[in-house]
Amino acid sequence: MMENQGNAIIEIQNVSKVYRSRGALFGVRAKDVVALRQVSLKIYKGEIFGLVGESGSGKTTVGRLIVGLEEITSGEIFLDQENVTGLKGKALKAFRRKVQMIFQDPYQSLNPQRSVLDTVSEPLSIHRVGRSADRKEMAHKVLKSVGLSPPEAFFYRYPHRLSGGQRQRVAIARAMVLNPEFVIADEPTSMLDASISAQIFNILLKMRSTFHVTQMFITHSLAAARYLCDRIAVIYRGQVMEVGSGETIIRNPRHPYTQALIDALPKFKGSGEIKQYGTLLIEEREVNGEPMGCPFYPRCTVAEIRCEREIPGLRMLEEGHYVACFNV
Amino acid sequence: MALLEVEDLCIDYKTKNGYLKAVDGVSFSLERGASLGFVGESGCGKTTIGMGLMGMLPPNGVVRRGRILFEGEDLLRVSAEEMRRVRWRKIAMIFQAAMNALNPVQRVGEQVAEAMLVHNPSLGKEKALKAVEELFELVGLQTDRIRDYPHQYSGGMKQRAIIAMSLACRPSLIIADEPTTALDVIVQDQILAEIRALQKEFNIGIIFISHDISIVADMCHDIGIMYAGQLVEYGPREDVFDSPAHPYTRALLSSFPTLTGKRTDLVPIAGETPDLVHPPEGCRFYDRCQEQIPACREKVSRWVAISPGHKALCCRCEMDGR
Repeated sequence: MMENQGNAIIEIQNVSKVYRSRGALFGVRAKDVVALRQVSLKIYKGEIFGLVGESGSGKTTVGRLIVGLEEITSGEIFLDQENVTGLKGKALKAFRRKVQMIFQDPYQSLNPQRSVLDTVSEPLSIHRVGRSADRKEMAHKVLKSVGLSPPEAFFYRYPHRLSGGQRQRVAIARAMVLNPEFVIADEPTSMLDASISAQIFNILLKMRSTFHVTQMFITHSLAAARYLCDRIAVIYRGQVMEVGSGETIIRNPRHPYTQALIDALPKFKGSGEIKQYGTLLIEEREVNGEPMGCPFYPRCTVAEIRCEREIPGLRMLEEGHYVACFNV
Repeated sequence: MALLEVEDLCIDYKTKNGYLKAVDGVSFSLERGASLGFVGESGCGKTTIGMGLMGMLPPNGVVRRGRILFEGEDLLRVSAEEMRRVRWRKIAMIFQAAMNALNPVQRVGEQVAEAMLVHNPSLGKEKALKAVEELFELVGLQTDRIRDYPHQYSGGMKQRAIIAMSLACRPSLIIADEPTTALDVIVQDQILAEIRALQKEFNIGIIFISHDISIVADMCHDIGIMYAGQLVEYGPREDVFDSPAHPYTRALLSSFPTLTGKRTDLVPIAGETPDLVHPPEGCRFYDRCQEQIPACREKVSRWVAISPGHKALCCRCEMDGR
């Protein structure tokens, strides 16, 4: 679908994820929930790739499928051209050394009974990297790189004695300590204040420049994605609607959904230069029968009959800019 | 006469370690139908101001000093019974994540009607339910959803129901504390548009509290920037955002990613907020300020007029004669 420009470090092909709900004990089974439908993406070496969507769009599911926290329903995932779909046992362990994740809520993702040193050096002992003294040295280095210095002062602290920003730095340090090739950051700042968020953003940028880690940044904020990311994919109800460079997505969005998203952003400080598109229907349109067309069809002002029945695939508009819409 | 005039409001929380000065010397005023936004980071006291205005501070909260003149009456001097009369009827509040405040086992319409009946028992249930219908139309909810339960509503619909409830007694002041934080951008945009339209229609004064600068900038004519319990800058939004005077406002703005303009580096604010049990004598932002001078630490900062209606609580601004 996308031509090969540079080396894709992660490639996901036609990935779908269906959550089967159990339904009532007697009576018909409840409908399946399609969290992702035929999603294909390539993430190139050294870039920060943004995945932007609203809650329930499936953006977190993409991340969880890549690191193997959820089982894939259909489709394939490749790391360095190697198929890593549904890995188990030793192979999965080896894979996890290369791919790590930073979670949304540092208040929940850190074990309250483990000190910072234990938390950060645990991945090292799981993967049998170095001896105890080396591990401490490595933890020291990585804590310093995320701005927790002097690291010794944090070694024996427990999460309850850290602020939200410090906790998230520990979480980043834990993800980075194995020197992974690819890190997924899932809304790492949604629990933090603006001034602290900026610290975390800058640490992620530094991780890229000093350790050359490729990253996927999952967020609901286009402004944050613009700041951090080279390329952005916009996802809506489990489908990728548009992919392009950050500037392209914000200044020249072509998908009616992306346009509606940009319309809805609060206007602030010179965002007057952004034009209004008016692609969102106020009243949702009725869909006849099973929804099987474009997920944005019920709310799209420019939809045609075809959009109700068929799912548009991603098409290339210009170099690096892809849109899943018949009307563009 | 202004709708609301707050003078030198000081609110403390009693803690193990002593009194925490959550709000310290805050003064502002709001005209009928006007909108004022408070922006600040967590722990700056913005929610405490809202709770103080409503007379709903938690048990360990005490108003140490100040006056809250609402329609000419000092709310800090009225009896609890009087306050109950003012609350909701004249001042309503939309809380953070208010949608979770709906009772899950009661139909939404009945809950809105109940809010009306508590404050106006003579209305009667029939009439109240009729009025709920009008309110639902007003906030853009379908009237055939009145008899639904909260779990049948989406997040945006619940928030609309809460707004309907806050309008139930036609208040003249609404305090909206992060009313859209849990919502998606598209829904948020619709809810904000709804609030704006209703404010205009009924000439309601609004105090908007948020950590999100862009929402407040979008919603409010006047902006108050808060830091560590104090109001540090105040003025019309264009003045505050286009020519911020207080170093904290500038720092806050440069840590906030924007959609347009040059993609400049975000500058985080180093350091942490001061301990509010023992706040520093001088400027509270001193330790984190890039533009500090010795005087900032030694003397208590005073308000400096920057331009008409625009002022900053900053020693440095005073020195520079800005």
